[in-house]
Amino acid sequence: MSTRKAIIAILLGSLLAACGERKSSAERFAEDGILVIGNNSEPQSQDPHKATSVADGKIICTLLEGLVRPSATVDGEVLPGVAESWEHNEKADVWTFHLNPAACWSDGTPLTAQDFVYAYQRLLHPQFAGKYAEMLYPLAHAEAYNKGECDWQQVGVKALDKHTLQLTLSGPTPHLPRLMLHFTWFPVPAHKVEAMGGMLDRRSLWTRPEHWTGNGAYIIDTHRFNDYLSVKPNPLYLRKDEVKNKGIRFLPIVNGYTETRMYQGGKLHITNNVPPEMLAFARNTNSRDFCQDPYYCAIFYRLNTTRGPLRDLRVRRALHLAIDRDSLVNKVVRGAGKPADVFTPPGAGYAAQPPSSPATQAEREALARQLLAEAGYPQGKGFPILELMTTSRDVQRVMAETIQAMWEKVLGIHIDIRSCEWTAYKAAQQNMEYDISSSSWSGDYLDPATFVELWRSGGGNNCTGWGSPECDAALAAARGTGNAEERRAHLQHAEELMLQAQPIIPLYHSERTYLRSTRHVSGWQSRLLDNFPLDAVEVKP
Amino acid sequence: MIKLLFKRLMQGALVVFVLETITFFLVRMLPGNPFLGERKLPQHVMEQLNALYGLDQSALVQYFNYWKNILTAGDFGPSLVREGMQVSSIIAEAFPVSLWLGILGMGIAIVVGIPAGMLAARCKNRWPDTVLMLAAMLGICIPAFVVAPVFGKTLGMHVPGLSVAGWDNPLCAVLPALTLGLINAAYLARLTRGGMLEVLSQDFMRTARAKGAGAVRQLVIHALRSGLLPAVSYLGPAFAALITGSFVVETCFQVPGMGLHFVNATTDRDYFLIQGLVLCYGVLIVGANLIVDLALVALNPRLRTQGAA
Repeated sequence: MSTRKAIIAILLGSLLAACGERKSSAERFAEDGILVIGNNSEPQSQDPHKATSVADGKIICTLLEGLVRPSATVDGEVLPGVAESWEHNEKADVWTFHLNPAACWSDGTPLTAQDFVYAYQRLLHPQFAGKYAEMLYPLAHAEAYNKGECDWQQVGVKALDKHTLQLTLSGPTPHLPRLMLHFTWFPVPAHKVEAMGGMLDRRSLWTRPEHWTGNGAYIIDTHRFNDYLSVKPNPLYLRKDEVKNKGIRFLPIVNGYTETRMYQGGKLHITNNVPPEMLAFARNTNSRDFCQDPYYCAIFYRLNTTRGPLRDLRVRRALHLAIDRDSLVNKVVRGAGKPADVFTPPGAGYAAQPPSSPATQAEREALARQLLAEAGYPQGKGFPILELMTTSRDVQRVMAETIQAMWEKVLGIHIDIRSCEWTAYKAAQQNMEYDISSSSWSGDYLDPATFVELWRSGGGNNCTGWGSPECDAALAAARGTGNAEERRAHLQHAEELMLQAQPIIPLYHSERTYLRSTRHVSGWQSRLLDNFPLDAVEVKP
Repeated sequence: MIKLLFKRLMQGALVVFVLETITFFLVRMLPGNPFLGERKLPQHVMEQLNALYGLDQSALVQYFNYWKNILTAGDFGPSLVREGMQVSSIIAEAFPVSLWLGILGMGIAIVVGIPAGMLAARCKNRWPDTVLMLAAMLGICIPAFVVAPVFGKTLGMHVPGLSVAGWDNPLCAVLPALTLGLINAAYLARLTRGGMLEVLSQDFMRTARAKGAGAVRQLVIHALRSGLLPAVSYLGPAFAALITGSFVVETCFQVPGMGLHFVNATTDRDYFLIQGLVLCYGVLIVGANLIVDLALVALNPRLRTQGAA
């Protein structure tokens, strides 16, 4: 008995000792001017040539700065970054960037145009195996170089002098500055990378905190795996006086429930995601802090157009029409999205038109039944059992079950659901080993091309087996014009052709739901790409 | 005793080797590969990455290279998903966290579970027994993914100093350790009660009572040693499982331990990391079982003579 008493005494003692500490960690960090933010998952890398995830991107954007940077006041507006100014030729396929001579790396080495040349060569180098090398394919001959089919000298990247960089593109690219907000276009410190193993060393440790050299608003302070990554101000940053806080702590919290609890327990200033099941609760308990922002992301179902009845357009159309998107969005994702009949989310002055369909859901369902009957399956008779593949995420499973029920009720057909863990799901989708696959796509840059280009025949992320020469021609026409209006019209046309052929079923455009402390955080704005510059966030005690 | 130790060590090495071999080939049979991402990689990039990490070679060649690197250079390979990090450094960072949490959890489990089991055995079929065993049953039945958020939401939010989740001060370990500890305490209590009941009905206990030994002396000095045997057998593997981390508890409390890696490395197909973790877990569980064997010998004189023979 005495042991038990002793232990209880120790436990109570430590609890009492802790009672002295009344401030939450969010309050303490706020007093120090440090922003604490949920960042979804443990970053893969801080090397812009190895990173691929959104979580990586958020950190890299604080550590490195490209030729241009995003505006903190207007979404989509591009401001000078390392480049002071730039100009392009009439066709918009040759761009010249004039670098700020004051720009330097955090170790004091001057930043020159050669650092950009080095970075682009590294990412595109055929032996480096950059996963995101495709982002640089707009550069002339970049794709051929990446595949080992030509020399680096032929690629359209040239340092005209120390502070002038000339980029020659494979076609007119009026939206180039927006592309360049993505971290794949950022420079890397050539001197540091060379000193730490060289250009092609994928195992190089130059991004570890003790070796880090960058040109962004911050430098890495500490990185504890699966715990946190913290950054502190870079004293040699070009605009160090404009940085509004004294550091950022990124917490890799995968689980949205844990994250929301941590927010309510005073551990975070901004969360990454409130899961649908907690939306009503978060809206009620944290009504001032709850945020719901539009997001450049489409949720849809891919249809394997090379399999069974899905080869028939009428069947694909019937499946599309039978889904009641309003109730899907209201009941399954609890309002965290906008029902959609088109693929590309609205934004950047673009809106595609859906193919004409009846106005009310009842009429749409009647038409769906009629189309299915015309395809040879009246009331679903004789329709083979198809499989709907989803990931094991709760929302996706519930959505699949809801749609399964809608198809059963409206069309009289039965669909099996196969829930896979993520890698197996992705492998099956990319190898087209599925009938219907639950999918999502988020934009890399604020331009409809990041969505519409998906549907090129044989494109790597098409994965539906569908393709049409007309759609390809419209996409090629969009790539071939320097006129923004014309380009938009071509992209719209391409998307409409795709929607008419229905290789996918658009479901909704998702919205980001998260919590943000109004007490501690100001200056924050919503961004379609969730890429608000974190150095513009003010942290108040 | 030395012979027993040597025999157990040899058996342990064989077990770890077989475990690692099976894991090596099984993870390579899973669909997908470590480089799959949201966007499909061009064929030439995929080939380049496979070549870079030697995954383009046959599984058998990879297997021999893997052991060669471990035995000659102590190199457990790189992480294939978090490139630039070594498997050994990932484990070295996460293991101390899990170890600390495991020791605390085990401490709570022993301190709560064993006395509770003894008390229940002593008061067999009376109200303390019923209450304790009901509590133990609840502890066993309510899964960690319910206990952990409930603790976080109640104690974590309202007891000053305790933390909902996270790992930024020493007191952050209290709730995860409590969750792990109480669940194991429930098992321990039931095992101890069973073991004690068996011992309490034996002849030598009647002799002890007849000699006039007090209740505490009867329980602690005479009965505990034999009554603990089932609990001790359970403790070894349970301790190994605790210090290698629990995915659920680490996820619910945002603890940077090993449990997260076990699940994430598997879903990410981070081959070398899975192999490193399995090797680590294998060695720990074999080691823990060895210690249990030795402890059982110490507790049970009959085993000692068998071992000597």
